[in-house]
Amino acid sequence: MGLSSATTTAATPEGVQLCIFDLRRGQNEGQELDKIIFFFPADLPFSAQFSVIGLSEGLIAFTRIFSPEAACDAIEAERHSHVFYEAEPDIWMVMVVEKNKEFEPIWRSDALRKVLKEVHSLFVMFHGSIRALLDKDPGGGLTRSHLYHFIMDYLGDFLVGKKLLLPSFRDSLKERGTVQMLTVGREAAIEVQSLVRVLESCAGNMPCHSLVLFQDLLVSTTLSPDDTVNLFAYAVLRLTPRALSSGVSSWSYLRKGATSHVSSSSSFACPGSIPEQLHGSLGDKSSQVVRPLQPDKWSKGKDGFLVSDIWGADTSTGTSATPTVFLHQTEERMYLCAHQHKSLTLIFLLPVSSVLKGDQGVSAVKQQVLENVSLKLLKVEEKLSKGWGGENAYHVSGYRYLLADGDRNVSRASPPGKVTTLTKGSLLALSKVREEVDLEKSRAKSDNAGHEKELEISIRAKNNAWVIARVTRGKELYMVLEKANETLLYASDAVEKFSNRYRTFPSMLQLVAHYMNFRFAFLGSLVITMR
Amino acid sequence: MSSETGTSTSGDEAWEPNPNPIPKPPEDQLAALALSEADSHANGVAHGSAEGNNHQEIENEEEEVRANSVAPGLAEVEEASEGLPRGGIGGGIVWARTNSELEVDGPSSPSSSGYAGERGSSSASSGAGSGVDEILEVRNDEIADGFSDSQTPWVPGKRHVDEDDASISWRKRKKHFFILSHSGKPIYSRYGDEHKLAGFSATLQAIISFVENGGDHVKLVRAGKHQVIFLVKGPIYLVCISCTEEPYESLRVQLELIYGQMLLILTKSVNRCFEKNPKFDMTPLLGGTDIVFSSLIHSFSWNPATFLHAYTCLPLAYATRQAAGAILHDVADSGVLFTILMCKHKVISLVGAQKASLHPDDMLLLSNFVMASESFRQVDTYLMLLTTSSDAFYHLKDCRIRIESVLLKSSVLSEIQRSTVDGGMRVEELPLDPLPRSGSFSPHLGQHTVPTDSPDRFREPYIGVGGPAGLWHFIYRSIFLDQYVSSEFSPPISSPRQQKRLYRAYQKLYASMHDKGIGPHKTQFRRDENYVLLCWVTQDFELYAAFDPLADKALAIKTCNRVCQWVKDVENEIFLLGASPFSW
Repeated sequence: MGLSSATTTAATPEGVQLCIFDLRRGQNEGQELDKIIFFFPADLPFSAQFSVIGLSEGLIAFTRIFSPEAACDAIEAERHSHVFYEAEPDIWMVMVVEKNKEFEPIWRSDALRKVLKEVHSLFVMFHGSIRALLDKDPGGGLTRSHLYHFIMDYLGDFLVGKKLLLPSFRDSLKERGTVQMLTVGREAAIEVQSLVRVLESCAGNMPCHSLVLFQDLLVSTTLSPDDTVNLFAYAVLRLTPRALSSGVSSWSYLRKGATSHVSSSSSFACPGSIPEQLHGSLGDKSSQVVRPLQPDKWSKGKDGFLVSDIWGADTSTGTSATPTVFLHQTEERMYLCAHQHKSLTLIFLLPVSSVLKGDQGVSAVKQQVLENVSLKLLKVEEKLSKGWGGENAYHVSGYRYLLADGDRNVSRASPPGKVTTLTKGSLLALSKVREEVDLEKSRAKSDNAGHEKELEISIRAKNNAWVIARVTRGKELYMVLEKANETLLYASDAVEKFSNRYRTFPSMLQLVAHYMNFRFAFLGSLVITMR
Repeated sequence: MSSETGTSTSGDEAWEPNPNPIPKPPEDQLAALALSEADSHANGVAHGSAEGNNHQEIENEEEEVRANSVAPGLAEVEEASEGLPRGGIGGGIVWARTNSELEVDGPSSPSSSGYAGERGSSSASSGAGSGVDEILEVRNDEIADGFSDSQTPWVPGKRHVDEDDASISWRKRKKHFFILSHSGKPIYSRYGDEHKLAGFSATLQAIISFVENGGDHVKLVRAGKHQVIFLVKGPIYLVCISCTEEPYESLRVQLELIYGQMLLILTKSVNRCFEKNPKFDMTPLLGGTDIVFSSLIHSFSWNPATFLHAYTCLPLAYATRQAAGAILHDVADSGVLFTILMCKHKVISLVGAQKASLHPDDMLLLSNFVMASESFRQVDTYLMLLTTSSDAFYHLKDCRIRIESVLLKSSVLSEIQRSTVDGGMRVEELPLDPLPRSGSFSPHLGQHTVPTDSPDRFREPYIGVGGPAGLWHFIYRSIFLDQYVSSEFSPPISSPRQQKRLYRAYQKLYASMHDKGIGPHKTQFRRDENYVLLCWVTQDFELYAAFDPLADKALAIKTCNRVCQWVKDVENEIFLLGASPFSW
């Protein structure tokens, strides 16, 4: 993390700006600077920063004249798209991206908004809400410092070379903010269930939540859907075996720029590049700032537990301090422990309030886990590995698809390696269709909450590909068929066949019957409702 | 749709007569339009500056300008006023009435007082005790009665002039249109008083110029269900604020049309006014034209021509249309650029000079301008003569008289009236099998054809629920001809609200098929809670068809093929062949 490298790459990646501002701050003239609590690129002249924030603020106020309940979502200009997200009341995140010269619809604003949403959710999971931080820190210095490191670390994952590769039309068959599930057989499911039970028993009387991942796929969760999404995202970014050996390319959407991030992000997110003149107090406090997304900070200990010095060291024992996270649902602070055996990652959360003696108490539970769970872990890992079909396990030949359940935040898609075979024309058409569906969904949502949008669109594009979207009861299916016959009936047939194929996936329906919590039993039911 | 016509099923249903006048200078009751060959682009009818005696006046004397800007005096629009089609087929066409009567009526007509008065006073709110208001009231009642089904009837002219941006009611209007100058001065607002909206207008200008200062151009702002669409045309800024679900592309086209309508009224020389004086106040120039804009805006919710960029013809027997064309052709060599005989928004025949082109959007704007004017309100059939020569007024008058006299002697006018009563394609009548091309026409298309119980016609077994396979409606657009034909509305698409919803669905489908970056797509199937929509775009035609949402896909496809065949079978009657304005 040398300063020297920071200066060479200090030139910010072209065409992307991201800012966070608080409408409650800087109300008086001359104090406008106070509004800005994050700006990327930080070295942009203030006048330019003000220009972005001024326009955003102006349009938020303007659109409220007509739409008081939902202020500005997006600005489309000839050369830029501005995407708005009100992360917390009066705290706005705005991302500005440049369009290409052909004015192709390369950006889908919902996809970009999900990036904003993800980074905010992750931030809140570790640091609590921005508003709460600002209330404790009226000057805002500490909050800015937290946000700066957190978001820069997060953006680092998108960095490829000197360019930020944000989700574009090429990522239309991915859904950020969702969990990808491993399909398991009945026996394996029972094994997993018993593993989770044993794990819970290790915590004694304490309520204990857990999350089990195989590779970058979720096997089991006892958390609420929102918390599952956040923790799953963090795990895939930093904890799973792939994340730990971050040089390896990943097929998960969450690790888009992973191939190059080791080398590049270190300079990109270097603390030395914080313009200290920007926010005076920031420099002194940066040492206290915890950076949960700092790359390459996690490693696997001898006992299989993952350790990191991100949260500092416990002075009494000399071991690393246990990280804590806020649960979205209960707003409770939890200790986060992760144990890994080969491809299997076991994450469990213990309430801070229930653990006596802090880290020592956690260590005691960890010890219990090692003693009671290890054997089961071996067995489950073996079983899942045997049944695991590899990266292309969920490929359906001839199809490029995305299935997403917006209510449960679960998705499954064609492997990225397969999606790259699609032509640009098909992907652009798909992106456009998704944009249309996004609009329809948001309208249906604001019209009446009870009524879910039902929609089916099949388009034969200029390049003869079929681009298909189906929305049924909150579930969405997107599909591209490139080597398809020209008749519409052929295309509908192909969709039917796809649904059938999904039904015959090993144990897909047993999954429905046996899945613990029955929470993520959506895929089977999706297939049924789509038919 | 209009309550006066009990028959109710003509393609003009959605059109309301305009009870509100377009104020005009008394000495020039014949609405007159200028058109230049060189400048008529897609943007609307642009006026050549050639002789330009009007421009001088625009710059000098506002009072004069009003007179001349509304009627630059270059071409003549003639009317063939026709009795309402209650029974009396044949004798209802009164051509000779027009000129003298109007000239007499002119000076005392309330329209001229509206013209002379302050801006906005021409609308219903003037209440000056003139006859117009009473007429307006009566009409409104009639219209309201006709709309038993809950939709507020369209009232022509500007409404809610008392509102401004502080009014809650103003803020809640579903669709605003604004024209303003680049200095932020309001020029037109669909709702509210322009003068009271000066502050709001300045805000819009500020947004546009703020983005421009950053080296970019703002196109669209989204906020919940609202969209704010910006269009910059030189010194003129146009803005639409809408919470209708129309796609951005459609709303942008609507702004383009509004700009085109403005140019049609004022000519491009307004730009020069702004060059001379950036703070130029344009509102007086458009005084009294509210009704033209409001009628155009109204057509954005019923007239497919506004998004298809094509015009439609009144269905007529081939021979009849040929005869009409021949009559129009009579004056074609005498310096007239275009001769168009129209029935409301439908073309009867069109004759253009060689190499002259008239964009379908221009035809839309011209017919809107004519039909919005008071003198044409009760008129179905009218004649437009367009020329670039600025001193051809009396010549055009002669042309009009010549055409009129021949038309009156022919059977064309009665055929026209017949067609307005029961012309058009009805989905219930979709033939089961392709017809042999033997000249057996649809009973509702041609004039003298086989009786309605023709054996080779598909007899609808489920009357009242649309055509076969749940076909509810279709629009067919011929690419080469720049024309479209739309089936008549029949149950279940019977109420204005349902028609508007279908119109909007088509509009969305059109935008989705014709995406700028990646379109046009070839086929689209779309099913939602309201419809199954199918769309084909080929090199020759585009077909848009709406079915029952539960329609079977395979049957719907078959039905679409039959529709295409049907259209081809009767194209002689529904289209104006060999007279494309582009290829004449």
